[in-house]
Amino acid sequence: MTDKQRVCVTVNGRRYERWVEPRLTLVDFLRHELHLGGTHVGCEHGICGLCTVLIDGRSGRSCLTLAVQVDGAEVTTIESLRDPSTGALHPIQQAFVDAHGLQCGFCTPGFIMTTVELLRENPDPSDEEIKRALDGNLCRCTGYQSILASVRLAARRLREGREA
Amino acid sequence: MARGVLKLPEDLPVSVPRFVGKEVTRLEDPGLVTGTAEFIDNLSLAGMLHCAILRSPHPHARILRIDTSAAEAMDGVAAVLTGEDLRRWCNPAVTAPEGWGSYSMAVDKVRFVGEPVAAVAACNRYLAEDALEQIRVEYEPLPCVPDAHAATTPGASLVFEEKGSNVIQSRVYDWGEVDRMFAEADHVVSNTFRWNRVGANPTETFGCICQWDLTGNALTCHGSYQVPRFMALGRSATLRLPANRIRIIAQPMGGGFGGKGGPRGTDIAALLSRKAEGRPVKYIEDRIEYLLAGGGQSWDRHYEAALAVRADGTITGLKVKLLDDQGAGAEGYGTISAAKPLAAFTGCYRIEAARYDLTLVATNRAPTYPFRGYGPPPHYFVLESLVDMAARKLGMDPAELRRRNYIRPEQFPYVVPSGNEYDSGQYEVVLDKALALADYAKLRAEQARARAAGRLIGIGVVSTVEPGVFDWNCYATVGVPGVGVPEGVKVAVDILGNVTVAVGFNLQGQGQFTVAAQVAADYLGVDMHAVRVATAASDVALPHFGQGGSRLGVSVTGAVLGACRKLEVLFCRVVAHLMQTTPEQVELMDGRLRLKANPAVGMTLAEVAGTMLARSDLLPPDVEPCPEANYVWTAPGRTAPDEQGRCKSYLTAANATHLVMVEVDRETGQTSILGYWIVDDCGTRLNPATVDGQIEGGVAQGVGAALFEEYVYGESAQPLVTTFVDYLIPTIGEVPSSRKAVVVTPSPVSPLGAKGTGEGAIHTTPAAIMCAINDALSPLGIEVRETPASPRRLWQLLQQVA
Amino acid sequence: MKPAPFAYHAPETLPEAITLLQRFESDGVDAKILAGGQSLMPMLAMRVARPEVLVDLRRLRSLDYIRAEGGTLTIGAMTPKRAAEQSALVRETQPLFHAATELVGHVGVRNRGTVGGSFAHADPASEYPAVALVLDMELKAVGPAGERTIPAADFFVTYMTTSLEATEVLTEVRLPAWTRGTGWAIQEMARRQGDLALAGVAATLRLVRGACTGVRLAAFGVNATAVRLRAAEELLEGQRPEAANFARAAAAGAGNLEEPMSCVHASSEYRRQLVEVLAKRCLAEAASRAV
Repeated sequence: MTDKQRVCVTVNGRRYERWVEPRLTLVDFLRHELHLGGTHVGCEHGICGLCTVLIDGRSGRSCLTLAVQVDGAEVTTIESLRDPSTGALHPIQQAFVDAHGLQCGFCTPGFIMTTVELLRENPDPSDEEIKRALDGNLCRCTGYQSILASVRLAARRLREGREA
Repeated sequence: MARGVLKLPEDLPVSVPRFVGKEVTRLEDPGLVTGTAEFIDNLSLAGMLHCAILRSPHPHARILRIDTSAAEAMDGVAAVLTGEDLRRWCNPAVTAPEGWGSYSMAVDKVRFVGEPVAAVAACNRYLAEDALEQIRVEYEPLPCVPDAHAATTPGASLVFEEKGSNVIQSRVYDWGEVDRMFAEADHVVSNTFRWNRVGANPTETFGCICQWDLTGNALTCHGSYQVPRFMALGRSATLRLPANRIRIIAQPMGGGFGGKGGPRGTDIAALLSRKAEGRPVKYIEDRIEYLLAGGGQSWDRHYEAALAVRADGTITGLKVKLLDDQGAGAEGYGTISAAKPLAAFTGCYRIEAARYDLTLVATNRAPTYPFRGYGPPPHYFVLESLVDMAARKLGMDPAELRRRNYIRPEQFPYVVPSGNEYDSGQYEVVLDKALALADYAKLRAEQARARAAGRLIGIGVVSTVEPGVFDWNCYATVGVPGVGVPEGVKVAVDILGNVTVAVGFNLQGQGQFTVAAQVAADYLGVDMHAVRVATAASDVALPHFGQGGSRLGVSVTGAVLGACRKLEVLFCRVVAHLMQTTPEQVELMDGRLRLKANPAVGMTLAEVAGTMLARSDLLPPDVEPCPEANYVWTAPGRTAPDEQGRCKSYLTAANATHLVMVEVDRETGQTSILGYWIVDDCGTRLNPATVDGQIEGGVAQGVGAALFEEYVYGESAQPLVTTFVDYLIPTIGEVPSSRKAVVVTPSPVSPLGAKGTGEGAIHTTPAAIMCAINDALSPLGIEVRETPASPRRLWQLLQQVA
Repeated sequence: MKPAPFAYHAPETLPEAITLLQRFESDGVDAKILAGGQSLMPMLAMRVARPEVLVDLRRLRSLDYIRAEGGTLTIGAMTPKRAAEQSALVRETQPLFHAATELVGHVGVRNRGTVGGSFAHADPASEYPAVALVLDMELKAVGPAGERTIPAADFFVTYMTTSLEATEVLTEVRLPAWTRGTGWAIQEMARRQGDLALAGVAATLRLVRGACTGVRLAAFGVNATAVRLRAAEELLEGQRPEAANFARAAAAGAGNLEEPMSCVHASSEYRRQLVEVLAKRCLAEAASRAV
């Protein structure tokens, strides 16, 4: 019974119902079934972290998850971060722009989604805590220093935003 | 009237440059941080099929039979391709030197593990991979050539039988009186070195969508193409199509660093489209394919090298003998990597004479491809290690020995023995700034204390030159023809004053779209957001190359300046005609064409463009209604090489000193980086944030090459590193935060004084780290001369003195 | 790099899961349990694992818990590792297990990967099996015949193989009460932050009247399963907590290892060396924590 299975999933607040092969990975499901192409593929074996999304609010690698495993779950991807009415960037996205936290930008959605979880759990992380949280995301362009600066900047702005 | 060559940002026709030289945020970024940039795998065409490739499990084997019938019979499979199709329709890859290329899919025999043997186009990738499992291939294994030494052993198996040898090229370059320098030297420092294979590994692998137009006999390829027109020429040769019928459309790329193959993947997808009645075929290389055969392997080198040194520390001669394992042929232009050091063979130093004894061989490892820096990272590892060894021999501080031998500021332009001319530099100023930044004396004192306590702490101080703005002439001796590398842009002003810059390349990460917009905005006096940068397809774009050879930032600057200057001349003529004066009386300043005598009188760009486009009655009779200009830039003053390869090749010479402190754990062999300091001089910094990013990224790749990354092969040429579990790209936990400072010596020969700066850090970091490790090990009398200095390798070495 | 086809079941209850496993067992169908998938998925993607059926335990929410039962800490097999990492109860009552959890992979992997999944996967480079040996953990499994409790020492059989039957489901891991004053340490050598260890050592000991006692030491990443370093334990028992004693014990422990495995990053001899160094350092660290 390798027949297709029904997947009912909420992605970025929107409910989808699809019939998929059990072997379909979540990242392929997001990209090719739902046409949410912002989640990128870097290695398909769980090392690079490019395909990081939030599953029920927690970061995970969508190449190491089957689409059928998110039946009933809520998935959040990079596409959800921008303000839907104004189009404004999320403070974390804006911080990556302002602190030059990207070059080719292919790994960036994964870093940003991981950062969303980090700053939700720890609004004022130390450099060591940032490094520990992001050590599962590979970047080949930046050497990470500007990413570190971006996360620090985002954390500061988010804290200030909350206080304001 | 228009100005001449703009040597500095201050020469731009604005009161104060608003964008050039500033840390402006990048045009590229909003699309990237939102995930909306159209990378190749985000593109989908109607009726598109998906390709999967069956690859050879053997390093060297004859193909006896391929049975594709079961795969072809599968529901959802549209076409299956084998070497027989290639034999019928294609030519082998064009290489330099000639004749060392394979077909894009194995014909008759396979030459390395991972070589394509068959391919399937199916309605999705999952099914295409299922179909591969239905293809039966019978191989007859052949004796293999596992490494460079085996390649030259008498009776070795031949990777390319028709060549009669595995030696692709063997020659000696002699520059100056090398033998005399060594005969007269007070000391000769010599040693062997081994640089193991590393490679680019951009986070995005190669991908393309190819569609063969069966009626028009033409091909359209979208893909992650770094050098679109070069790719079109190559496809023309292999696919036997006229080059003007091949349209290469470069999508934004998830990095490149030179090591993004594409020729084989493009040909295979194109031929599958041809077999599948012209349906578009998408091929997305997966990571294992990339690691096996994706153009991500570079620099497999065995060195013997020597320095001639006088008692006072003057270095007078350098000899480098390199046996370079190119892998299974020269399809990836790995040969060029071996020639690149000609541009800066003697580094920062006044070394009078040099010899380069170069042997390039074919083996049954994967073909080698470019990687950031091309050849100098291993070359500088060798040269800088020798300089440190000389310092130890002379009992001299390594920084002082370098200082003593630097090319002095008044000696520029300076011609190195290998022929290239360095434009400018202040190497001693850079060194001194680095020593001060790191507080070198304090570090040495710290080291002495730590040593006394039995700790292995070392300091590396390494200086390099980064040849910037590559030119083909540098590679003439390995069979690449030509002088000059054109880069063209079109600058267009519309009726509302918006500016479009059309280029022949797409995003890859270095921020050249932003640079183009900065320069255009400051020249034309408009806001950066009024400038749009767009990519033209290869068939209609002006002559171009794209990213490569620390060149594009400078080249695109030159091209945009040139086009803007032509627009300025044109607009001055139009305005002069309208105001009934001569063009000499009109000038461009802060976005207005105004009368020099009465600056309050003038016209905006939009007014001039609008007049040109909509009021032909007002134009001078010989002026076209076209407020646009093309300019194709190439570096000035380049020369044809002589028989020893000597010529003016790379236009600019940037310089950096890296200072690094490491500790080696005596018990585990693990190296920790305790501190990292960089002073860099790349002339005018067009966007300082982008320059910093290039340096930091190069450091990370250098850390990888020095300590982590290595493509390991087994004794029978079996690749043992085929996943990201084993190919160890440094994470945020391994890359040090560096402290940086800047020296600015504008280039006198490049647009705005900027020097190529994409590769300097990877030239320097591996050498700096290896020198620091050897400084740490020096009290024990051992040294590591093989990269990467992995814990296992260092521990083995430490065992010698345990 | 796409998985070969397989069928998929996500049973709602444990009995349903066991019934399914029984059915596949009797039909000769190759079924594999999916507990989080962080180790299984790459094997599926590379088609080196090719089960015909996956039985996903994700709906068994009743197996997601962390509870103190008397002194014993029990963790449901489907508890995400990240939950164990973030649990104050785990941190306060089982510091070694907590430290080991923090060493597993990366945040995203700990979010999706389950505690039970790691035990059942039995990767010899994993931290948990070594900790299980050191702490005398117990593993609870449920099968057609009911429930049984397996001591850690009997659970890990060989490389990626446990004593679980094909029809059994690992439901809980049990950590015996922590003895006050026990010193502990876990150290490993990985090439990069978050990588699987080339070798690692976990240790516990107590100090009674200035002498080491109850010394437990296990190495991982070295042999086909995690392995107790009994020679080291015996040598140190009753000895003073001094560097020379730690070194002697570590050398004995490493020296008595079966031939360690070898890979591109670490030869057999190098792994043995790492065990010796890490054991020595772990003993010192554990002693420094013991009161």
